[in-house]
Amino acid sequence: MKNIILVLIILIGTKLSIAESLEEKGYNIAKLSYESGRGFTDMISDQLMILIDPKGNKVTREISAKSLENLDPDDGDKTITYFETPKDVEGTVMLSHTHINEDDDQWLYLPALTRVKRISSSNKSGSFMGSEVAFEDFSAGDYRKYKWKYIGEEVYEGDLCYVLESYPIYENSGYTRRVGLTDELLRARKIDFYDRKGELLKTVFFENYNLYEDKIWMADSMKVENHQNKNATIFQWQNRKLNIGLDKKDFEKSSLMRLAD
Amino acid sequence: MTQNPFQRKIVIFFLVALLHASSTNALDFKAYGFIQPESSIYINGDGRHGQDNYNASLFGKGTFVSYLQDGDAKFTISAIGRFDQSDDELRYLDFQKFKYEYYFDDITLKVGNEIVFWGVNETFNIVDIINQSNLAEDIAGTKKLGQPMASISYSQDYGKFDIYLMPYFRERPFSGKEGRPRLLFEVDKNSITYESSAKKRKMDFALRYSTVIDDFDIGLSHFYGNNRTPVLSPNPLTLKFDSHYPVLSQTGVDIQATKGPWLYKLETVSAKEGSERHLGAAGGIEYTYYGIRNTQSDLGVIVEYAFDDRNDNPFNNEGIIGLRWSMNDVKSSSLLAGYLLDMRGNSNRFQAEFEQRINDNLKLFLDLSLNGSIDGTDFTHQFKEDSQITIKVAKYY
Repeated sequence: MKNIILVLIILIGTKLSIAESLEEKGYNIAKLSYESGRGFTDMISDQLMILIDPKGNKVTREISAKSLENLDPDDGDKTITYFETPKDVEGTVMLSHTHINEDDDQWLYLPALTRVKRISSSNKSGSFMGSEVAFEDFSAGDYRKYKWKYIGEEVYEGDLCYVLESYPIYENSGYTRRVGLTDELLRARKIDFYDRKGELLKTVFFENYNLYEDKIWMADSMKVENHQNKNATIFQWQNRKLNIGLDKKDFEKSSLMRLAD
Repeated sequence: MTQNPFQRKIVIFFLVALLHASSTNALDFKAYGFIQPESSIYINGDGRHGQDNYNASLFGKGTFVSYLQDGDAKFTISAIGRFDQSDDELRYLDFQKFKYEYYFDDITLKVGNEIVFWGVNETFNIVDIINQSNLAEDIAGTKKLGQPMASISYSQDYGKFDIYLMPYFRERPFSGKEGRPRLLFEVDKNSITYESSAKKRKMDFALRYSTVIDDFDIGLSHFYGNNRTPVLSPNPLTLKFDSHYPVLSQTGVDIQATKGPWLYKLETVSAKEGSERHLGAAGGIEYTYYGIRNTQSDLGVIVEYAFDDRNDNPFNNEGIIGLRWSMNDVKSSSLLAGYLLDMRGNSNRFQAEFEQRINDNLKLFLDLSLNGSIDGTDFTHQFKEDSQITIKVAKYY
């Protein structure tokens, strides 16, 4: 009897895998890719953002950030961002409790007003600090935010990559479609973003991958090229440390002032 | 600082403590600040009291934050100062923050000068009571003085409790003789009385519970101490205002609901001064349109209204409609404009603030304040001729 059940399971399993649709295949690769980047528990890093205009003029922004992994499969991570430059915003602190397909909870401490404000976060498609990076791009790898489709395979910089198309679920997303390349180590390498009108808006290149904790590949550089306004942004992570034992209490509104002046 | 012996003692205590800390540990600190020259033109010419139609001023702020004892403690100094061409009352140095905090797991202990803001509104901050307002800086009362205090905070999943003990009271600064805008008479600093026999040494006390429940940020607070707002009465002998500070007992509630691009805000107070009890409520709605006309710009619309059951309160029936335009560009250009209306009379005022980064170290500010028709009975009538344009350039360090 047991053997028959086993055979049945194998048969059904085989049948399912044969019938795996392009959507399921895309979803499964995206899920595996996302999961391969999890398990960091918590993380600190300094971030450098270089904004480049079409003439090649550059300005630099510096922030430092802490984040806390949320193991709840239906909810997002928590982050605290401390702004160091430009100097007129130095001392500004932002706390975000991210959610997958709804607005985040965000609080901002503004030193000029010496007050903490709960702010609206419906602008996930808006620019982060005048850059070509939108708030929603920081979680571009979260498979739960998109519907997926496997398109095929392509060689990119000598590596074989899966070509995946994805469509945002979040209603306020600034995008209608993305086409991305994910390599065999499940690392996202490049994503093309199409705007609400369906036109190519920007390409994000994930570069400078490093292996953390002997198990997690993280891109320590992200380059964004906007094809419409010809601006570019380079985002670099420095001094990144994982699993340093941050307390979940550090990520509540009540402890925001511990990081502020 | 010279008129404030209590603060001087605190400053000395902290400097000694800091020197001690820095000699035993490597000091991990951040320091930043700015210097800001300002220039104002009064567009109705000379003032009602013969003040000049032009003013120059120099404002500055410096902040020093240091983490001590392996990050379990923090020491902060944040000082502001101004040197004004015309107004004596705008030549000052104020330690907004001069404090030492120690963090236990759920408890934070704090001693020193601090700025504590309570409330949710943009314009009518009726719950906010801990810090004295510097009315010489801003007649709306948004600029504060550092309040000496000892406080303890206790945080749990269900919310946070704060207890404040404030052993030293700071009198409200008003514009001087040459200030613009200024009151009808000068406020006589030598004629100040208190209801409390302890006067400015009265131990003021405050308690607050605050929590976040999903989309709601909620605060309940109580304050007992010298009212920050004095009763001013003209003295026929000196032709100046005498001030009297009653004891205030005030309970406040503030709530903000954040629903997508909509913010709903409400503050209410029930307060008792002497045998009289009064009620106040203020609240409003803010809506933000994101990415207007397919640009990165956001446009926020703010409507707020304030009610107070005392007829002589300046904000007893007041409304504001405001616009906040943020370009979200590399220069962080933004414009905040508001039309303030007293619904009782016909008084109205228009204010606008524009700001734009010039480069990594410089920022430009343009402030405009226009008095429209102002009712003779309105307390702002005395500022009617003080419409102004101010240009400020901040240099950051």
